[in-house]
Amino acid sequence: MRARPTGPWTRRRRGVQLAVAALYLALPFLGSERIAGTMVALRLGPLDLVEPATAASAWLSGGAAALALLAGVAPVVVLALVLGPVYCSWACPFGLLSEGIDRLRARGRRWPERSWERARLPRAVALGGLLLGSLLLGAPLAAILSPPRLLTVLPLEAVSGRVLPVATGLLLLGALALELLGPRRILCRALCPAGGAAAWLRLPATWGPRLDGARCLCPDVAPCHDGCPWGIDPRRMRRADGCTSCMACVDRCPSGALSARARGSPPAPRTPAAPA
Amino acid sequence: MSGGAAGWLRRRLAPPPLRPPGARPEVEFAGLCIRCGRCAEVCPHRALRPAGLAHGLEAGTPLVVAREAPCWLCMRCPPACPSGALAPVTDPRKVRMGRAVVDRERCFAFQGILCRTCLDACPLQGDAIAQDDDLRPVVTDRCVGCGLCEWRCPAERSAIRVRPGGREEGG
Repeated sequence: MRARPTGPWTRRRRGVQLAVAALYLALPFLGSERIAGTMVALRLGPLDLVEPATAASAWLSGGAAALALLAGVAPVVVLALVLGPVYCSWACPFGLLSEGIDRLRARGRRWPERSWERARLPRAVALGGLLLGSLLLGAPLAAILSPPRLLTVLPLEAVSGRVLPVATGLLLLGALALELLGPRRILCRALCPAGGAAAWLRLPATWGPRLDGARCLCPDVAPCHDGCPWGIDPRRMRRADGCTSCMACVDRCPSGALSARARGSPPAPRTPAAPA
Repeated sequence: MSGGAAGWLRRRLAPPPLRPPGARPEVEFAGLCIRCGRCAEVCPHRALRPAGLAHGLEAGTPLVVAREAPCWLCMRCPPACPSGALAPVTDPRKVRMGRAVVDRERCFAFQGILCRTCLDACPLQGDAIAQDDDLRPVVTDRCVGCGLCEWRCPAERSAIRVRPGGREEGG
């Protein structure tokens, strides 16, 4: 495999992703009640962290008792509104896996033109369909089919259950097959309900890649778009286009026009990034 | 909420499995449980297993197979549940997982053999299982359905088995 230069943001992000993945692998062996759970509902000491689409889905399928999940949704939403949906890019182990698969299958390939716009409709349809299905079928589909849940519950079921986790394993294989054979990163970009909900969790002031238009020297085809794990052109994206604040674009920007900031904070110093 | 089409089917087709302590009535439970696995994770007896493919949409929800691994009523799983699928019951006596039923054909005590294994296994000693005048086991209304009797029964196929259900109050 061709070695690719990796910028500081991506290096930091890989560190966090690997740490989170290691945590979920270790959880079944810790046997702790203070740190327990999966990516859709994690207990961290006094804090409950619940993935929003999962909570909405359980409310639609199970009724008012699911409002118990709201206390855990709040910190996740607040975190996303401050930092962006970092759930997907900095934490989710399935995201790490998906990025790995994408690197293997799409080495050096460019994203299709306006790839981020093409993901809008499928993403809305997938989330809406799963929520509607939850209501009609009486089962929380957005939780059941959530790739982060499938991947993080697998070690748990394998260790603490007394049976082979066949159902989880098969669903996970289906998800991986889609990632391998479907459009690039189709689950993370469009089909994952957690990602679909997270895409809406961005405010104008949320931390993210900011463009200094005067310094951008690239044409339409640019390294920031090609290097985005979500296929987004940060120069032209809309707020709910699913930018996860991974900052890969900032790493790849040759002119220093992109910087990682919240709105209102000062722009990056005017030193062009070292040629990668 | 009625639980939609799947809830309708469930009520008519399959008998519900044995659920962890605190589980809400079956249809509501299946809608609330987000299959996060936290209950199974905190169970020190590995008594909670994820439902398999045969359970369809309920695959991944926790269930108890009492003959292999009964519930010891340690009450750690109800507070671990984030979604309200398990009501936060703390008193083992208020649990309503189901109720044990004696199979008179198989039960040694009904064949005239002295056996009180189920009575000794019962965590609600003397309350949930009593003996009649002929020293045969009689299950009372206090039975919570933990399945310890089913697990310990010396008959080749357990002569006392928990019939799931009776969780109308979410116990």
